[in-house]
Amino acid sequence: MKMNSKLIRSLFMSGLFALTMQSAHAHHAFSAEFDAQQPIELKGVVSKLELVNPHSWLYLDVKQADGSAKNWGFEFGAPFSLKKNGITKASLPVGSEVTIKGYRAKNGKEFGYAVTTVLSDGRNVKTGGAQDAPDAQAQGQGSTQ
Amino acid sequence: MKTAQTHYAHQRPTIICLVGITLVWLLSAGNTFAAGAKIPRLNGKPDFSGIWQTISAADYDLEPHSNRKDAPPGAGVVEGKFIPYLPSALEQKKKNFEARATLDPALKGYTLGVPRGIYYPEPFQIFQRKQDLTLVHQFGHSVRTIHTDGTDHPKDPYDWWLGDSRAKWEGDTLVVDVKHFNDKTWFDRAGNYHSDALHVIEKWTFIDPNTLEYQATIDDPKVYSRPWNISVILYRHREKDFQLIEDYRFTLDYDQYYPPKPNKQ
Repeated sequence: MKMNSKLIRSLFMSGLFALTMQSAHAHHAFSAEFDAQQPIELKGVVSKLELVNPHSWLYLDVKQADGSAKNWGFEFGAPFSLKKNGITKASLPVGSEVTIKGYRAKNGKEFGYAVTTVLSDGRNVKTGGAQDAPDAQAQGQGSTQ
Repeated sequence: MKTAQTHYAHQRPTIICLVGITLVWLLSAGNTFAAGAKIPRLNGKPDFSGIWQTISAADYDLEPHSNRKDAPPGAGVVEGKFIPYLPSALEQKKKNFEARATLDPALKGYTLGVPRGIYYPEPFQIFQRKQDLTLVHQFGHSVRTIHTDGTDHPKDPYDWWLGDSRAKWEGDTLVVDVKHFNDKTWFDRAGNYHSDALHVIEKWTFIDPNTLEYQATIDDPKVYSRPWNISVILYRHREKDFQLIEDYRFTLDYDQYYPPKPNKQ
């Protein structure tokens, strides 16, 4: 009887263990929305920062050749991961100048995915949150001071 | 000869009178007496734990309106009847209303936000502790924590779907200060909306042990010319074994793929 209950218990535990072993799928599908063949680098003035789950967004006014400004939107990672890299609302105030390296959106509109962002104080920060995004050419390792 | 019976007979009218007066006093003080004595309490404070839902039609449209193809008529829940929109914001509200069949974030299963989650026609459950109340909404399984431990809003906030809630007790009323919202939720299906400057002050009180009065003052200087108030009544679910049931709308479009169907030969 003792043998049996021990066997049952170990079977139960290993079953439980098997259930908890789930492969971690990246649920940020970069390639669904953004084009890895269209890298982009833009400099502009921050017009809005939304620290929203699941993806934060930075909007900036980019000066065009004719002097007018076009508003672009770039997807950032989740607020918690941005905070780990030192980004809060205070890091990207409206009116500050930033440079973004990333990829264009597949829909051809003024949207993109930001791999790294250079803040107005010079810090180069990894702002992208998708695990399946390609690396940009000069990717910051967290924040460099 | 004075007998016991005669003695009591004398006092009977007085006794009846006294009993009568006491009964009338008890009955007239019934409501406040009953509510004050019988509402559930935790650490001396009213305990709002339980599953609650409104029967108000507020979620169709906060303002008074006649019937529509997608809504019953309603007398509205806004104090003063109409929301004091700034002129440009009113134009945006009208655009929202015209496109509500596609633009309403609730149709995509998005978090309802504050205060819409309170009067949306689905139940929500309150778990109360000394240091906080946790609200779990059946719709989308949204979870909001109302902190009652005296802490203040965080210094580096995000733009939360449900804001950040910090509360204090004023007698038997819970007064909640909610702010740091994003602008992605609506207040109802009619397109009433807000910006990320939204600030909500809620007041929760028992009317009786199974009924709550919920009031909210809504303030957003980017959208309205002044703060405005709403009020709804919440009823406790008392059906046997009542509980919340999973309701994630945004997964519905994927139900055809998961779990994967075996290949047909």
